[in-house]
Amino acid sequence: MKRSLLLGVLMLGSALSPAFGESGPIKIVLPEEADLLEPCMATRSNIGRIIMQNVSETLTELDVRGGKGLMPRLAESWEQKEDGSWRFNLRKGVKFSDGTDFNAKDVKYSFDRVMSDKNACESRRYFGGMNIKIDVVDDATIDFTVDPVQPILPLLLSLLTIVPEETPMEFVREPVGTGPYELTDWTPGQQIVLTARDDYWGEKPEVTEATYLFRSDPAVRAAMVQTGEADLSPSISQTEATNPATDFSYLDSETVYLRIDHNIEPLNDVRVRRALNLAIDREAFLGTLVPDSAVLATAIVPRPTLGWNPDVKVFPYDPDQAKKLIEEAKADGVKVDTPITIIARTANFPNVTEIMEAIQAQLQEVGLQVELKFVEVAEHEVYYSKPFKDGRGPQLVAAMHDNSKGDPSFSMFFKYDSEGTQSGFADPKVDDLIARANAAVGDERAKLWSELIAYVHDEVVADVLLFHMVGFSRVSERLDFKPTMATNSMLQLSEIKIK
Amino acid sequence: MTLATTDNVIAAEPSLLVRMMRMLLADKFALSAAIFLLVILAIAIIGPSWLGDLATKQNLRGRNLPPFDWTRTWVWWMGADALGRPLFARIIVAAQNTLMVAAGAVILSSVIGTVLGLIAGFSSPRTGQIIMRLADVIMSFPSLLIAVIVLYVLGSSILNLMLVLAITRIPVYLRTTRAEVLEIRERMFVQAARVMGASSKRILFRHILPVVLPTLTTLATLDFAYVMLAESALSFLGIGIQPPEITWGLMISQGRQYLTNAWWLSFWPGLAIILTTMSLNLLSNWMRIALDPVQRWRLEMKGGKNG
Amino acid sequence: MLRFIRQRALASLISLIGLIVMVFFLSRMTGDPAALFLPVEASAEMKDQFRELHGLNDPILVQFARYVGDVATGDLGQSLRKARPALDVVLEAFTWTLWLAIITMTLVTGAAIVVGSLGAFRSGGFFDRFSSMISLVGASVPDFWLAIVAIVIFSINFAILPTSGTGSVLHWILPIAVLFVRPFGIIVQVVRGAMVGALSSAYVKTARAKGVKSGPIIFIHALRNAMLPVITVVGDQAASLLNGAVVVETIFGFPGVGKLMIDSILQRDFNVVLAAILVTAIAIFLMNVLIDLAYALLDPRIRH
Repeated sequence: MKRSLLLGVLMLGSALSPAFGESGPIKIVLPEEADLLEPCMATRSNIGRIIMQNVSETLTELDVRGGKGLMPRLAESWEQKEDGSWRFNLRKGVKFSDGTDFNAKDVKYSFDRVMSDKNACESRRYFGGMNIKIDVVDDATIDFTVDPVQPILPLLLSLLTIVPEETPMEFVREPVGTGPYELTDWTPGQQIVLTARDDYWGEKPEVTEATYLFRSDPAVRAAMVQTGEADLSPSISQTEATNPATDFSYLDSETVYLRIDHNIEPLNDVRVRRALNLAIDREAFLGTLVPDSAVLATAIVPRPTLGWNPDVKVFPYDPDQAKKLIEEAKADGVKVDTPITIIARTANFPNVTEIMEAIQAQLQEVGLQVELKFVEVAEHEVYYSKPFKDGRGPQLVAAMHDNSKGDPSFSMFFKYDSEGTQSGFADPKVDDLIARANAAVGDERAKLWSELIAYVHDEVVADVLLFHMVGFSRVSERLDFKPTMATNSMLQLSEIKIK
Repeated sequence: MTLATTDNVIAAEPSLLVRMMRMLLADKFALSAAIFLLVILAIAIIGPSWLGDLATKQNLRGRNLPPFDWTRTWVWWMGADALGRPLFARIIVAAQNTLMVAAGAVILSSVIGTVLGLIAGFSSPRTGQIIMRLADVIMSFPSLLIAVIVLYVLGSSILNLMLVLAITRIPVYLRTTRAEVLEIRERMFVQAARVMGASSKRILFRHILPVVLPTLTTLATLDFAYVMLAESALSFLGIGIQPPEITWGLMISQGRQYLTNAWWLSFWPGLAIILTTMSLNLLSNWMRIALDPVQRWRLEMKGGKNG
Repeated sequence: MLRFIRQRALASLISLIGLIVMVFFLSRMTGDPAALFLPVEASAEMKDQFRELHGLNDPILVQFARYVGDVATGDLGQSLRKARPALDVVLEAFTWTLWLAIITMTLVTGAAIVVGSLGAFRSGGFFDRFSSMISLVGASVPDFWLAIVAIVIFSINFAILPTSGTGSVLHWILPIAVLFVRPFGIIVQVVRGAMVGALSSAYVKTARAKGVKSGPIIFIHALRNAMLPVITVVGDQAASLLNGAVVVETIFGFPGVGKLMIDSILQRDFNVVLAAILVTAIAIFLMNVLIDLAYALLDPRIRH
């Protein structure tokens, strides 16, 4: 009797709460658990999806929804000074979730921590090859002097999460940040709970509490939203996405391509590389093995990225031309009969096995000898990144690259520069273009990237670009949320509205 | 003299083969199992050269074609896979690799396991102890780790795949054999044989092995299924069979993501595994009776009735 | 008895040490954890620093000596990826696995002995054929079929059980049901086979000839005799459950040691792999001791 009374009161309470505005807790089911919740690792997707901008904030933020470009977050404004250095004016009155005040010293400490040799922060990679000097002018002003001058420093700082000065240099498991949420529970293997903070500096989000669950099977993730065990699954499989009321597809900034190793005959011949491109019927994959809404790639970066070149056209499917090119190469003594190996990673992306089998068949169709080899993630890395093994045969490495950061500099050096760790060739003109584009600003920068994209695609025929991939999400009907290109790496709870 | 004896034998008792055939005919389940296995065996031998091309011919526009479309030729009756290849033909072609790996792994593990088990049970306690602790080690060594190590150290090949699968299955044969040996060697008839001066080897193979064998056969037939399924899990690592080569296990795992909307992709290969295991088991149960002088009458009586 | 246990403990300790030494050296031959922890774009210096932090740049013998020293003080090292002690990670997961294995194997063994011996009692009869068929299908059906189909039926269509996860008793039903099927199929077959043999064996016949008419007594006699292989196979199946039920853990989001082990092996998180193997090995060794004691109980003639 007593209990039912209590229950009644509780139910009354929860029935009343919507009257205070549409807010409440939600549950999100993700494919992979975060092994760490370390702010300086937030650029890795399984960690970033949970804490990036929810717990840990950055000085700037790239607008991936609209066309607003770089927006202020913990910095209210910034400017480049005469000497090329940058000054950031920080937001005042911001508190970390542990109660300490946010100021310029925390920014400097956060940067020093990322660069420290007492941890293995992955966001350090965005500041490689630069000499950065930081001056704290006052509590709300900070100067960054970078050598060489870094035109996209404000963009790079959208990847630097800010932690309080008291954080140890070593990795932490309980992140403290300035974001709208704080970590309130982490039961490894089961759940992570973020709860909205009362003392957040910005607008109060509608989601009061987010519980993260982890299921590796896409069918189970989809089922959980269907049965109400979860409200949102940012990634389900294409085959499950059948309900138009809850299931949305979105371009997810992942680009699938075959990296060509130009150092080994016959792939050192541009005619053979062009033949590879002409032999693949990319259109036939759309709506079959690759979702209909995927986009054929003409660059390693997707469309809204700076300098994306609309004049570069997808290679047509022309097996006859491909055969002709191979014959020509053969006539010139190129050993086109050498078996070429495609190396792919198991479970790298949906249908990877079938897609690679189909590509193998299409390449064989034009008279090339093609073998297929599937490897697990650690071995894939050995093939994909330098140093390449001596005595290897001609290889195509199937890989997926993610750049949702708006600028090609996060891709081009690594994939195409002769020093790049995943670059399969060396071309002085490419190196020069990359160096110049990296140093340029504004329209000049865009122009140089465009030029590079066209040159790499049409002249060098550097790789076999395939698709900009599509993700599928299932969103409960009680939520109002559209996933974006950045959803893979960041899921801002403040963007989720409750109907 | 010789002639007369032969006549007598034929009259009194038909040759072993004929008797076995009669006993097989008497058990309809075992008979169908034997026929099924013969068909699978034949398919495994001729499959790749017979339908190899058809089974790898892709057609993206005809992907995930549903089964039971009787208007098309029979290879399409089970439907098509995610690349539009006929499943019936693929199952036939895959039989060869599947049986090779499964039989190889099962035979390897059961023979090694049994021999080690016999030794462990029959030799000095010290040797026995060493072998048994070795089995403990294998039992607690995760098979995936063995696979990754083999992959890195030896490279991937069908032989290595068999090796990995075999190693992980050794302990169960070993432990089963040894436990039985410990028990049997105390039994009366073995003690008697020993007293009468029979050599250890003779006791081992004449008296002990026949008693242990039935249980081991049951285990081995069931392990067939296990190995066929485990092999698909290892192909995930890139060890052993990889596309475009096919096995039933690989077909099952490729169909996994379509389970809810194109069930046939993983159903048919799964059914092939189930039927093969079942046939092997029925046949081994039959064989156990047919080879047991005490129970053989059951089948011979039935055979008599039917005839 | 005491002497047996002492000897056994010593022998097990030696093989445990052998196991760990083997895993320590072999696992370090399988690739570089730095390349997996950091993104492909990370510089060589960053990878080198990761290795330096975790002592992976030292000669392997130095690493081994350090590990031995740590283990001697009860420290199994930090997880390379999780920034917390490897042993904590493993024990958390293993507790779940242990319960899952104990419950499943208890149910399986009970059910399989009943079904298998009933089948053997009327060998070749309808019940025998039927139960054999069911158990054989069970032993050879892919486990993810069962798991997904069970979720579709019980969680989506009937909405009576949660799809996955932990939290209540209801969450355990589907994982246990799916795990039940395969060992049940195998053990039924083994029980049936052993019982067919035992029921036709000389001394059961003697008992019958002596006029022991009542079924149960003969049954118990035969069962006792048939238990030897059954216990062995139960042990084998239990060991594979203790090593973790990967498919069930992945699909049902069950936080057991199987998925932890797979992930740690794939990510080359050596300390977690070693700790996981140590913990499961101890469990399996203990179980094998119990099994050997059970042999002796069943048949006092078996001496050790």
